[in-house]
Amino acid sequence: MNRLAAKFRRSRQLFCGAMAALLIAASAQAAEPQARPAHVPAGTEQVTVGSPYIDMHTGPGRGYPVFHVAEHGETLWLLKRRTDWVKVTLRRGQTGWVRIIDLNEIYGADGEQVQVRLPDFRDIESRHFHLGFAYGDFDGADSMGVSLGYRFTRNLSAELRATQAVGAFSDSQTYQLAVLHQPFPHWRLSPYFMLGTGLNITAPNATIVATEDRRDTAMLTGVGVKTYLSRRFALRAEVANHYLLTSRENNQEIVEWKLGFDVYL
Amino acid sequence: METGFRRLSVAVLLCVSAAAALAQDSDDPLGELISPDLERREIREAQIDSENIEITAYLGGVMNVEDFGSNPLYGGALAYHISEDLFMEAAYGKTELGESSFERLSGAAPLLTDEQRQLSYYDLSLAWNLFPGEYFLFDKWALNSSLYLIGGVGNTSFADEEHFTYNIGAGVRVLTTDWLAFRLDVRDRIFEHEIFGEAQNTNNLSTQLGVSIYF
Repeated sequence: MNRLAAKFRRSRQLFCGAMAALLIAASAQAAEPQARPAHVPAGTEQVTVGSPYIDMHTGPGRGYPVFHVAEHGETLWLLKRRTDWVKVTLRRGQTGWVRIIDLNEIYGADGEQVQVRLPDFRDIESRHFHLGFAYGDFDGADSMGVSLGYRFTRNLSAELRATQAVGAFSDSQTYQLAVLHQPFPHWRLSPYFMLGTGLNITAPNATIVATEDRRDTAMLTGVGVKTYLSRRFALRAEVANHYLLTSRENNQEIVEWKLGFDVYL
Repeated sequence: METGFRRLSVAVLLCVSAAAALAQDSDDPLGELISPDLERREIREAQIDSENIEITAYLGGVMNVEDFGSNPLYGGALAYHISEDLFMEAAYGKTELGESSFERLSGAAPLLTDEQRQLSYYDLSLAWNLFPGEYFLFDKWALNSSLYLIGGVGNTSFADEEHFTYNIGAGVRVLTTDWLAFRLDVRDRIFEHEIFGEAQNTNNLSTQLGVSIYF
């Protein structure tokens, strides 16, 4: 009887040991990085939700409804981003869009915090490209312009600019490279000074006089002011002086006024 | 005697510790009182692609040029999405002018040559996604969509002249997937011309259906 009891006790110990071993093995498996499901492309960023929950919308905008909620501790794969939204997918295939600001607590495989950067004009230390459209007055003619800039220090930016002006007597195109200096980049209404050089092409209207197009090198000086309306959208106003080095007897000066916007790329 | 010795030893100790403190002062003001054993929080930027650019080709369109009839429009647009609310767009289009009623009724020689009847425009615009939402198609599909207002400036070229052009309009975008959308857009292009002798401000309406791809 005693032997039987001892045998039973031993077998119970064995069983408990085996169970414990199994449990340990299972928990070790859970701690390892999770295998990628078939619907997630290779190389996709995998993160774990650290905040209590994240709303998933059907599209990248506030107008598209929330259809699912990713929970704390759940694994997310970040597929792509559009404006301030990221498309994410979960293990079981639910795929939707989340706001970048809701992704402020996500962690990578090694427990490091993962950040999705939001571009911001207020971040004056960041180097970035910006693209702008402008409307203006070019010596009495209506003008439209496009500019592509790069900010390489907190004060200095370089800009490529193209303008088309249509006037009553002549049409012009200008192409310029300019350097902009912002002495107070952290001001909400930040002034800037501009120096540049480029090419002005002037085509007098054929109905008035029959002349050829003129191509003149131009020196550009200007002052302006920038103000951001949102993180990625800034308004700017500018007045510039084009000094045309002509082959005629006198050089020509043209004053241009512009109102436009810049977008942080 | 004993107290005197004790006083001396305390004084010496004080001097030594003060000297030590001074010596430490020069290189590390906090000494070993606070050891910098705080671990720095590790932050890494996510590796993720952006899809903010939208390229549109007009599948079909019609443009009415005041006094010159309506004709097919061909063209396309390139947009950059700034936020969920705003996008900026550069567009290009081509059409041709028909016969004006003056030419038809008077029977006189045509005002413009065939080459002068070719019209092309380009413009830079800013748009506002005013009403984002969903369209429902039967029971099965809910399509993301938005209605936008758009406006900008540009240039219209015909009859050997450039015409500064303002454009305003509205459109609807329906997304079939995240990267494929259909757009129906109505635009008024306003410019001034002098073909009939005196300056005339014209409103020129166009409608175009486009297919667009995000990348």
